[in-house]
Amino acid sequence: MRKPSKESQQKSVRDWSRVKLTCVGIFLGLAWVALWSRAGYLQIVAGPQLAIQAERQHVASEIDKGSRGEIYDRTGRLLAKSVEIEGLFVRPKEIVDVDKTAAYLAKVLHMKEQRVKQKLQSSSNMVYLSWRVGDRTAAKIREAALPGVHFTKEFGRFYPNGHLASQLMGFVGVGDVGLEGLEKSFDVRLTGRQAKFVVQRDASGRRYFFDSQGRELADINGHDVRLTIDAQIQFFAEEELEKAVTTNNAKAGTCLVVHVPTGEILAMANYPFFNPNVGRGISPRVARNHAALDVFEPGSTMKPLLVAAALQERTVRPDSTFNCENGKFGLAGKVIKDTHSYGVLPVNQIVRVSSNIGAAKIGMQLGSARLHGYFEKLGFGRPTGLPISGEGKGLLRPVKAWSVLDLATASFGQGVAMTPVQMAQAFLILANDGVYKPLKLVADPDGPAPPRQPFRVFDADVARTVQRIMREVVHEEHGTGRVAQIPGLETGGKTGTAQKAGAGGGYGNKYLGSYVSFVPAIGPEYIVMVMVDEPEPSHYGGVVAAPAVRDVTLRMLSYLGRMPETVQLAKSPAASAAEMPAASVGPTKADKDILAIAASKSVTTRAIEVHSVPDFSGMPLRRVVEILAGKGIVPRLEGQGLVVSKQSPAPGAPWPGEKQSEFVLWLARPS
Amino acid sequence: MSRISVQTAESQKTGTFDLWLLGAALVLAGLGLVMVFSSSGVMAERLNGNRYYFFHRQGIFALVSLTLMTICAWMPRKVLHGPVYLWLFAIIGLLVLTMVPPFSVKAGGARRWMHLGPISLQPMELAKVVLVMYLAYFFSQKQKLVRSFSVGFLPPVVVTGFLGLILLLQPDFGGAVFLGMLFFLMSLVGGTRLTYLAVSMVFGVGAMGLLIASSPYRFKRWFAFLDPFKDPQNVGYQLVQSFYAFGSGGVTGAGFGAGKQKLFYLPEAHNDFIMAVLGEELGFIGVSIVFVCIGILLWRAFRVALAQDDLRDRFTAYGMGLVLGLGFLLNLAVVLGCVPPKGVAMPFLSYGGSNLLSCFLCVGILLNLSRSART
Repeated sequence: MRKPSKESQQKSVRDWSRVKLTCVGIFLGLAWVALWSRAGYLQIVAGPQLAIQAERQHVASEIDKGSRGEIYDRTGRLLAKSVEIEGLFVRPKEIVDVDKTAAYLAKVLHMKEQRVKQKLQSSSNMVYLSWRVGDRTAAKIREAALPGVHFTKEFGRFYPNGHLASQLMGFVGVGDVGLEGLEKSFDVRLTGRQAKFVVQRDASGRRYFFDSQGRELADINGHDVRLTIDAQIQFFAEEELEKAVTTNNAKAGTCLVVHVPTGEILAMANYPFFNPNVGRGISPRVARNHAALDVFEPGSTMKPLLVAAALQERTVRPDSTFNCENGKFGLAGKVIKDTHSYGVLPVNQIVRVSSNIGAAKIGMQLGSARLHGYFEKLGFGRPTGLPISGEGKGLLRPVKAWSVLDLATASFGQGVAMTPVQMAQAFLILANDGVYKPLKLVADPDGPAPPRQPFRVFDADVARTVQRIMREVVHEEHGTGRVAQIPGLETGGKTGTAQKAGAGGGYGNKYLGSYVSFVPAIGPEYIVMVMVDEPEPSHYGGVVAAPAVRDVTLRMLSYLGRMPETVQLAKSPAASAAEMPAASVGPTKADKDILAIAASKSVTTRAIEVHSVPDFSGMPLRRVVEILAGKGIVPRLEGQGLVVSKQSPAPGAPWPGEKQSEFVLWLARPS
Repeated sequence: MSRISVQTAESQKTGTFDLWLLGAALVLAGLGLVMVFSSSGVMAERLNGNRYYFFHRQGIFALVSLTLMTICAWMPRKVLHGPVYLWLFAIIGLLVLTMVPPFSVKAGGARRWMHLGPISLQPMELAKVVLVMYLAYFFSQKQKLVRSFSVGFLPPVVVTGFLGLILLLQPDFGGAVFLGMLFFLMSLVGGTRLTYLAVSMVFGVGAMGLLIASSPYRFKRWFAFLDPFKDPQNVGYQLVQSFYAFGSGGVTGAGFGAGKQKLFYLPEAHNDFIMAVLGEELGFIGVSIVFVCIGILLWRAFRVALAQDDLRDRFTAYGMGLVLGLGFLLNLAVVLGCVPPKGVAMPFLSYGGSNLLSCFLCVGILLNLSRSART
């Protein structure tokens, strides 16, 4: 009986347990349904709102600023570059200990503690303490971990070549704004843009995924500008200009070098220089690009242009003569003077000796309307269109306002005024055989379309005639530009000695000496122009400016590997020795070798002792190989290193013949 | 349809494994493995330099657990029921070891772990299974005496209480509550007088209330779940982050791996809050898949329990179902903000070897029992 009873008892318990178990199951099932619904509510009903809130903590928008574009010269040398600098600011509200913070910051920033304290107690949200903190100082301040002290990323402008082309470049002010020069006119292109980035971040604020990729995509960095300037030629121009200005006790000066076939400006120098790296405190006066902004009366440099116009209009012929009135010519109650008295002179000699009276007569024969018309064609009275903000347009009164005297003085460059750049533009037409070609200063980007399309101003033979007349200025007797002579190379030129108009309107005893040169004289490739402002005591363009033009030309040609004597010699080895100051005896075979090397365009090549094997020990391997390659020798190298320690054949031995034993170099590491 | 015939040696019964059960468990574990990788990758990269660190470990745990499950599923019933008291003492021993220095590991202010050479264990997870086996044995063997207080009620109370006490000392409040609930639900079905249960429940809840009320901070923390947005930076932080995750997921989810809440916003993203990561990345659809699997698992577990003729088998099956079910529901309730937060891992999905092991142990035992189910 017990068994069945136990069975039944078990059974009842079992059944009860089944019921209870089912109840628990149902209870869990209900909880399961409830939680599922809860998940659905959170995800579907409340989801969008929660997602927005979550998004707020996931992403941060950050503002990033691109760096300013760089400026290069034509060969890619860096002229201006942006460097990251750190600015320091404080949020006064976050500062815990004002005294301590002020004391510390004043010490490391070298500021007055009282002033720092004042700033720290400012009621504004954010106060700048320094726009530019050195890296070391910044690191120190970071280490101190002062609350409320923050850094910003700013870009500062760095000009690696110091004052080179400084007025041309201009400078950049606080906040990456170009204030002067090309920095100003290309500000839009150069300026880095601001971009707002949405950045993924984690709970500790670390950024994810974006960074550099995002930056590149946004293309926020400023774009570069490449100039037609050649930094090396610019350097020559500046050095020679400085010399010309300082040795002649002058106030200022300008030098321009133009490549004729392209119209590209290779150098645009202004003296005095300034160092754009000093940042703030540069006076706009010093930074002014006189070459493009300031007008002057050119004086006699106008004469070749006048003659070209007269020849073109056939009012004179190359052999026409004018009476130069022995130096004094009364006109409309005034007297026009020449520095020397001349009688009857042909046109070419008028230019050569620079007779004002002759020029006035040529001008009067041409007439106001036609001369004025040519001035307009040459670009006087309008900017040349270079991307220089505020470029001067010169001073050219309307033709109706011209009196006879105005016509006469305009003929020798008085009463009209233009910028050096305008003058270069006018001479570029003459050098380019009469066809207008716009000056170019920027290689990349292509600037706006030039103001005028190329058109012919003078016939080619007229231009050539004037070029020949300008050659005479340098190379013929009584030429005013004889100082500018370069042995072995024919150049053309024209001097200018302009009396500067005084403040009262009359002409005083201040002068502007200038010289324009065509290199070479006929079919010129380069125009070199120098102006020296207020030289003393000597003020003749042929004295104060012509030497600088000559030296710039020489150094430029040397740099370009086109030194006149070598070029000429390479062309005709038998050229007369008298013309070559360097060579005292007739060219030997070895000399011809030197010349062949020198004439090759390589800038680095220099003449070496060629009769026998030179001493190579201590020389860089690269250089030695270069020299040997010039002799057609391929040396065998022993050992390792970049410097030659020993050689065979020994120094002084004759060069090995073609079939002779090999040339061996033993190498060593530079110690 | 989903059953295969299995000949068991000890009995002539033609048993079949419950493949629904097995399938649901495997789906959940697979999903868990994938989610552990997704939720821990960034963190592991930062902490260990190896983004696969947790993923690899979880994979190894899964292999070990599956092996153990298979063994349990094929094990003769006699061996399965085995020496319950030995298990009990063993687990008590392990729990005590978590407090003893050479084996003890303190992590996050609690000593829930014990290290034995290269193996680290969270004995609490195994304690659940052992407690169920003990209670199932006790209620089935002492069925006649179960309604008496001293013999039928006191021993399980003492055993559970002792285990709970150790857990409270660790401290592992969630674990203690979990064991308490297991005991309550097992006793309910096991036949304990409802009055005893009601009284003990009053005591339990009272003690819990006192414990919570004793510290204002704990009180605040405890009830923050009612309105986590009131203090989202502090006590409400975890829940707010969990809500953000679920909310961001929406219906379709951000896509696997694309969740952002795991970027150190969610505490224990690969562990207790892995469901939030899943909710964000796989959306309500993914969450529903989990719910369906949980539903299948619980349904089959209770089905297996109900189908057992032997009381011990039934209670064991029921208890194993409870271990899994309570784990699922408590974890989900926490991450969905329905109950106060406590450290309860999500069965199968959360990272952790002990958790995975105990879960597959439950599944293995249920599979074993499913063979003797009446159909």
